Amino acid sequence: TAAEPWPENAALYQQLKEEQILLSDNASSLAVQAFLQMCNLPIRVVCRANAEYMSPSGKLPFIHVGNQVVSELGPIVQFVKAKGHSLSDGLDEVQKAEMKAYMELVNNMLLTAELYLQWCDDVTVEEITHPRYGSPYPWPLNRILSYQKQWEVRRKMKAIGWAGKTLEQVLEDVDQCCQALSQRLGTQPYFFNKQPTELDALVFGHLFTILTTQLTTDELSEKVKNYSNLTAFCRRIEQQYFEGHDKDSSTTVAARSAKRSLLR
Amino acid sequence: MAAPMELSCWGGDWGLPSLHPESLTVMAYAKFSGAPLTVNTINNTWRAPKGDVPALISQDIVISQPAKILNFLRKQKYNADYELSAKQGADTLAYIALLEEKLLPALLHTFWVEAENYCSVTKPWFASRIAFPLSLYLPGKMSREALNRILLTRGRPPLYSLTEVEAQIYRDAKECLNLLSKRLGTSQFFFGDTPTTLDAFVFGFLAPIYKVCFPRVQLQEHLKQLPNLCRFCDDILTCYFRLTVSGHSPAGQDTADANLQKLTQLVNKESNLIEKMDDNLRKSPQHPPRKLTTLKLATGGEESSPISRLSP
Repeated sequence: TAAEPWPENAALYQQLKEEQILLSDNASSLAVQAFLQMCNLPIRVVCRANAEYMSPSGKLPFIHVGNQVVSELGPIVQFVKAKGHSLSDGLDEVQKAEMKAYMELVNNMLLTAELYLQWCDDVTVEEITHPRYGSPYPWPLNRILSYQKQWEVRRKMKAIGWAGKTLEQVLEDVDQCCQALSQRLGTQPYFFNKQPTELDALVFGHLFTILTTQLTTDELSEKVKNYSNLTAFCRRIEQQYFEGHDKDSSTTVAARSAKRSLLR
Repeated sequence: MAAPMELSCWGGDWGLPSLHPESLTVMAYAKFSGAPLTVNTINNTWRAPKGDVPALISQDIVISQPAKILNFLRKQKYNADYELSAKQGADTLAYIALLEEKLLPALLHTFWVEAENYCSVTKPWFASRIAFPLSLYLPGKMSREALNRILLTRGRPPLYSLTEVEAQIYRDAKECLNLLSKRLGTSQFFFGDTPTTLDAFVFGFLAPIYKVCFPRVQLQEHLKQLPNLCRFCDDILTCYFRLTVSGHSPAGQDTADANLQKLTQLVNKESNLIEKMDDNLRKSPQHPPRKLTTLKLATGGEESSPISRLSP
């Protein structure tokens, strides 16, 4: 099955775009979409309210290719590599190590900060997360699912030592992470100079989503905007890989979000 | 002059100054940056501080967690990263994230969750260093926290089963070790010739895997196949912690020397006894000349003949 070529009807599943999806899942989904676009592999985005439960690992997004289902960026990159497409083949061993380290940095700091903000910051939870997360379901199921997920995320935060952090400290961590990414990127177009890799896709997914999602405060997006090379990076990838595709619903994500801060 | 600083942390064994990765990281950084720290290892008196370990105490301020402790030391002008460029600083953050995400789960599993290891090594070691009756409770709590952390970060909701996760975390850890080895290459430290924060973190995570003798050692075996990482740990231990590669501190070496001296004395006594017996035999009535001559000719010397006759 690994030898089969990439089919035309490959699909990426995520939650409902307008009403339900949250910051962190949107970022992860956009990262996978960017990666597949960079590999020139066609994919259509399918929105389902129960996407989380359909996923084999419980995490989003997942792709349905042929008769296989793979979730999360890491496994998807390996799956795509088995089919003969790779963005990081041109890197030497030390560069590959660096790329993996920076991807972990994004997961460790940015993704965790997004989860913290949407599930542990009371204001955000009340005004954005709870209404959105359970929105496809009737009461009381929507509240129950919301609280269950919140409890799960808070347990995880406690286990890794983030439960004791204040919002300011989390934003500090985001700033530190963005500073590191900005310094690593420098003046290059992509992290490994001329060609984008899965790291570029991952960073784009998170930073673009942060920049273009409206939350209760602008503090999170302000942290990213402090680094002009990062905003330029996001604009560059958006223009190159997401504009000019007519039927691809991935443009809806970029186009809808483009109405907001990025081009202001 | 900076205020005196005290570090409270878990002690060491098997040639390490500490068994606990976070404590080891802080101790290594202090050595690299020249920070004068008095290290108090936790023993089973009741004066051991409660709460997070390691903890830095300076003028009534208590700081826990390695990242915060290192920040504090840097503010006190003990900075091991002084000569790093901005990009190298960014790389440091990235590699530390790699360690935490990919290596730490397997490290926790080897120490605290793998049943044979935990019951035969980890629990007794920690319990012996905690005051009774806390020693009955605290190791179990640390074990549960480790398992929790592994399952919540790598397991899949809603059931969070360990068996699915085990294979994956060891695969990730081995890959992480390979990546570190490739990144280190033939350099002495990760950023050239002087050790930095990243070296402290890598050392803190690797040294316990490398040195502690567990019954189940798949991670250690993998690490031993990466000689540059082993050399990295040994170098830091010998240069900064003054421990020989075999794990004996200079005091230990003296005991070995003393033993050797005693053994030499015993051997000398034995040979003196044998010489006396030899003299007695020569003074005793002679055996028939034929035999003696034959013996003399065969052995070619006087001393050896009584010995060969006496030996069983």
